[in-house]
Amino acid sequence: MLKLVQIEFCKLRRKKLIWLMLLSAFIMPFFAFLYFGYLGQTDIAPANFYKWSAFGFTLFIILPFILGLFGTMLMHDENRYDMLKQLWIVPVSKMGYFFSKFFVVLIYSIGFMLINALASVLFSVIPNYVSFGWGSIAFLLERSLEIAVLTALAVLPILAVSALQKGYILPICITLIYVLAGFLITPVNSCLHPLSCISVIIARNGAISELTLPQNSVPLALVSIGLWVAASILLVNIKLGKRK
Amino acid sequence: MRILLWAEFQKLRRSSIILFTIFATILIAVIVFVGGITTVTAEQLTTDTFGWYMTITQVWATMFVLPAVIALLGSYMICREEQDDTMKSLRLIPVNEAKLTAAKMIVAFIFSILVYLLLFAITFSIEAALHFSDLSMKVVFDFLKMYLIEGVGVFLAVSPIIAIVPYLKKSYWLALVMAEIYSFAGLFMSMSNTSKTLYPITAIFGVSGYYETTTSNWIVSFGVLLLCGCLSFFILAGLNRSRKGNKHNEKTI
Repeated sequence: MLKLVQIEFCKLRRKKLIWLMLLSAFIMPFFAFLYFGYLGQTDIAPANFYKWSAFGFTLFIILPFILGLFGTMLMHDENRYDMLKQLWIVPVSKMGYFFSKFFVVLIYSIGFMLINALASVLFSVIPNYVSFGWGSIAFLLERSLEIAVLTALAVLPILAVSALQKGYILPICITLIYVLAGFLITPVNSCLHPLSCISVIIARNGAISELTLPQNSVPLALVSIGLWVAASILLVNIKLGKRK
Repeated sequence: MRILLWAEFQKLRRSSIILFTIFATILIAVIVFVGGITTVTAEQLTTDTFGWYMTITQVWATMFVLPAVIALLGSYMICREEQDDTMKSLRLIPVNEAKLTAAKMIVAFIFSILVYLLLFAITFSIEAALHFSDLSMKVVFDFLKMYLIEGVGVFLAVSPIIAIVPYLKKSYWLALVMAEIYSFAGLFMSMSNTSKTLYPITAIFGVSGYYETTTSNWIVSFGVLLLCGCLSFFILAGLNRSRKGNKHNEKTI
């Protein structure tokens, strides 16, 4: 498996675009900086700033969209040029192939959230919006890593669809719909969509103020994510198993 | 030109992108409706308020999904000839490349309007089912005008992104990222009056009448959208010129 992940990273060296996509980790910290600057607020509670820079739109829109696109890019070229046959001949296990892509997405997600956390600290501490404190930074890092791992799991359905498709239009359309559905369904039911479930998990114990969620059960959220993950893996297992 | 337009529509019929756009449009309407009938806080506006549904749906659709979908369709149509290696065959016919690109842009423009008309049809039907007695011809035409202007405005706002795609070659994915972030940033650009007037995505709302604006701001917003259209025109004109230059070089070699 490690070798497969290593090969995936070697292939990524040819794609300069994916490193450019990491720049989108700066978007929400920058907008949070503009927003609080516009309001003219100083001495903001760190969790309040981080809610804007890392736990809000980054979690609901930017990261899932970027990961969905990244997953589609990883799958697209091999599907398009029909390279899978050669991989099966090597032989590479079909699920091993799928999981190697997932681990690349996971590592990319962690990198993205670490950059986002760093940008959040810079954009909050340098303009003096938030006073520097190791406790708040540790909290931000902990929740950012949770978001990274859980969002990588949450985009598994998109990765599964990409693995089964030759084209890129369907997975991209699904990414757009999936992300929007997660964002809009959260106030209705926060344990239905994997992205809503992540918000329940990271807001546990009232750690993020002013985040109103209809359901707050962390075990239920974990079960919901688990079900989505299991369904995606099952789908890939069945469909890739049938593919020759 | 008519033949080129006809050919583009025929090609699109075979593609699944149309079906998915229709599906995405319906889904947006459904999700907003579900959100509208569920209350989390007492202050939250719901579908019980007349006009809420038709107003909110177009905002969410414009901020999160439709600009990216229209940019995807436009860039897909423009890039597919190079990707599928059909450009050589088209050159042999010979097809005028400038006209071909123009035809693709016109199709994307028509498509943008049709998507918004579909969204209007769905939201209007639901609004009529909920508040039929409150509907008047004036309200319906005001909303129809708003949706139509947004269809035109979204196309103009994303047209520079569509036009950049042929330059990106294999990095057309970047166009999609750009379109999504570009539309999403509109949420924050509405914070200040100046950025709201000048930023293309929020300028659409100013022109359509969703935001209340002064006449001078309306003219500026309208100008910004026209500028986006002109920018894409110049980008595409530059592309055609560079293609011709390449062909000339090939001939001299």
